[in-house]
This record gives sequence, structure tokens and C-alpha cells, in this order.
Amino acid sequence: MAVVESIQHEATDRTPAVLFDFGAGQYRLSGESYPEDAANFYGPLTLGLRQALEDRVSDEVEFTVEMIYFNSSTAKALMNMFQILEDAAESGVGVRINWCYHEDDETMEEFGEDFSEDFVHADYRMCPQS
Amino acid sequence: MSEAAAEARTDSPALIAEEVLGFQRNMARRGIIFSFTGYISEGILKALGDALRQKIRLESTDNKTVNRVFSVFVEQVQNIIRYSAERIEHDDEPPVELSSGMITVGSENGRFFVICGNVIGRKDADVLAGRLRELAAMDSAELRRFYKEKLREPPDEGSKGGSIGLIEIARRASEPIQFDFQHISDAQSYFVLKAYI
Repeated sequence: MAVVESIQHEATDRTPAVLFDFGAGQYRLSGESYPEDAANFYGPLTLGLRQALEDRVSDEVEFTVEMIYFNSSTAKALMNMFQILEDAAESGVGVRINWCYHEDDETMEEFGEDFSEDFVHADYRMCPQS
Repeated sequence: MSEAAAEARTDSPALIAEEVLGFQRNMARRGIIFSFTGYISEGILKALGDALRQKIRLESTDNKTVNRVFSVFVEQVQNIIRYSAERIEHDDEPPVELSSGMITVGSENGRFFVICGNVIGRKDADVLAGRLRELAAMDSAELRRFYKEKLREPPDEGSKGGSIGLIEIARRASEPIQFDFQHISDAQSYFVLKAYI
């Protein structure tokens, strides 16, 4: 089994801070996201996530999203990752998703609720923050 | 230098100033905060977006409105960048990719508006008009469901995600988005979209 190295990016004005620690099963995206090319930014993250879950690098996975703003191409990329996570949960991986947003931010709250509809096996939690 | 010559020199720039000031005042009368016409890149999107956020935050607009205006602005500019039929691509290093269009942000009777305009293929105009009519007939709950439905779908061949972008614009707008087309040749149409937030 290939050891997947973790991926870490500092936040930029247009892209979120990324920490994908495949070995520990800890994933976090935080900040703003309207990259020039969403496929280019999220492609390697999605591939890495898929690979780590297929290889069962860890039995438990915690995926935290803490976004302030994201554009529609980013929403699509998040949806792709969520589908991978739900599939993994269905096949027995312990998956927990934390959707963190500011308690006054209705837009992020709505997105969080909408994404939650697709999770049956994963433990999806809305985490309002003050 | 003679007095007459000096007068002539100051006269000529004064005419330009009158014209430019007239242009600027005309824009201000229409409530325009800024308007950009020409080749747009992702770098320009970033710079204008920053200026826009700063400007409307200074007007002590609530965060929700700032975010909505910003989101509509980003989706409209990215639509120009991805779909304008007037574009320059060059395989330089880094590659040059510029798309021509117009983006305008303003406020009218206490509401912000974002307008974009760009040339598209005439065949694409019919498809786009159909999509926009569909969105215009939806209420906010329907738009929310439709957005979600589109997210689940695998991307269309050749689509760069534009249809979700239009739904995002419709969701953040406070009334159905306005759109119009002007046929400019057998092959091309000019497409305009205006969203009030």
C-alpha cells in the first residue's frame, strides 16, 4: 500500500487553507474559495481523498469544512468529495463531517443543510460558531 | 510664450476634461460604483472584487448583502471569462487567457445591481435564454432545490460549470434576473444579464 503524503496549503485570498492528513484521517478546509481554476485546485485533493479511502489508510475519518464564502465551481468540488466520503461510510469507514459556519451566516447554513441531505451513513454535523 | 499660445494649450485639455467629466457624471447619475469594459482576466476579477467589497462595506452595508453582491459579481465575471466569444488565448509561459466583456456594479433606490455583457455564439444564445427563462420562473425554494440537483449531476460535456453559476446568481438576487440578447451578426449575439440584490 502506497503511503499517501499529506497535503497542506496556506490560505490565499482566493483559496482556503487546506490540511489533508491522510495518515491520521484528518481533513480540513477553511477560508474562502473562488479559485481561478477549481478543477485544478480541488482535483489533487479529491484524488488523494479517494485514494486514501480506497486504501483504508485509516478506519476513521474526520472532515471539517469551515468556509466563509465559496463560488459555484467550489460547491461542485465539495459535492464530489462528499460523495466519496458517503460511499466510504457506506462501506464501513467511520466518517464524520463537521460543517462549521458563523451562526449569523444564513448562506453557509443553507449550504450545510443542503449538503447534509446526501449523507445517510456518515455522521454529518452542523457546527454553528459565534 | 505668448498669451494666446498659453491659452490654446490649456484650452485643449479642458475640452477633454469636460468630456471625461461628463462621462463620469453620467455614470454617477446612474448609480454606477464602477464599470469595467475590455479584456478581463482572473487578476482583474480579484482586484475589482476587493475594491467592491471595501466600497460596499464602507457604506456600512450588512454582511449578508456584501456577500450576496460579491457572489453575484464573481459568478458573472467568471461567466465572461469562461464563455465570452471574444477571447485571446496564447500558449506563452504563463499562458495568456483573456476574455472581453463588460461588468458594472451600482446601486439604485437602496439596492445593488450587477450587470454583465459579452458576445456569445448565436446558437448558444437560444440555449442560454431557455435556461434563464426556466430560472426566472422559480421561487427561492425551487432555486435552492435546482441548485442542489445540478450539483449532484455529473458535469455536461464541454460545460465549465456555468449553469450552476447562473442558479447561484438567481438565488442571491432579490427579484428574477433580467436578461436580453442583441443579435450582432449571423454567428454572434451580445448577451446582457442584470441582477438586483
